[in-house]
Amino acid sequence: MTRILSNEYNLLTARVFLGVLLVVISIDKIADPASFARSIGDYRILTGTPAMILATVLPWMELLCGLALASGILIRGSSLLVGSLLVVFTLAVVSALLRDLDISCGCFTQDPSADRIGWLKIGENVALLALAAWLFFSENHRFSLDEYIRSRPPGS
Amino acid sequence: MMRWRTGFREAVIMALCASVLGFVYTGITRKGVFAAEFSQGPAASRPGEQSSIIHVDEAKELYESGRALFIDARHPFEFALGHIRDAVNIPLGEFEKRQGQIDSLPRDKVLVTYCDGVQCNSSIGLAVRLREAGFQSVRIFFAGWNEWQARGLPVTKTGK
Repeated sequence: MTRILSNEYNLLTARVFLGVLLVVISIDKIADPASFARSIGDYRILTGTPAMILATVLPWMELLCGLALASGILIRGSSLLVGSLLVVFTLAVVSALLRDLDISCGCFTQDPSADRIGWLKIGENVALLALAAWLFFSENHRFSLDEYIRSRPPGS
Repeated sequence: MMRWRTGFREAVIMALCASVLGFVYTGITRKGVFAAEFSQGPAASRPGEQSSIIHVDEAKELYESGRALFIDARHPFEFALGHIRDAVNIPLGEFEKRQGQIDSLPRDKVLVTYCDGVQCNSSIGLAVRLREAGFQSVRIFFAGWNEWQARGLPVTKTGK
């Protein structure tokens, strides 16, 4: 198990998968922050200006983390930030489910008819959280910009 | 410990960069917090807009008098789930595409726009666009669908 978890190719695959996923899901939200703010408002936790501010900043966090993970730079910070966001998203979904809200997740698309919240969504988030935690605790990121920069001889 | 310190420092840097990029981008493209219909908001709207916000009692009175046409600014899917009875659906994002429908709106009635409730601004945005399109009598029912439903007022629900 340890060998699988520390295998550099497995780590590369996980990193690129999570990175590309984050970039893809951020694009819709960046293009239409008002729709994303409405999705946030649907959770009845934040509304109005706070929801709009979150809708302005959050997609860019996803985009930057995605690019950083895919290219292998600031891996530790990106995976920590993604993990923290996933914890918050999961708590929001749990809270909405407990309040019987039948709403769209707003995670992958801003179309309210798609991507409804449910216990499956929590499973998805937990799987992604595990992926982020794995990347955070791993040392062996051989195919990464971080590693390339570190391995260059000084002065070159 | 070192791992956490590095991770935390990098995460803060990324969050700050994301905030700057987010606000610069929305500022340049006039989206989100910088969008006209948002920055004007219900509290600091254009002249006339503030006075055109109506409360649920006034909305009910207009509805019962038959002098008003209610316009739902939400997504068609949400409209299909349930809406104020006899309301028509013009999602704010589809305003240009719905030109034919907009042209056929009655000019002798009060147009009352609404969306979900206080957490959305598309009712305001739609009212602004309708005024720009030449409709003089436009009201904004800002408490919207949530308040209408909570009061048990007439609705049409077509299921999921």
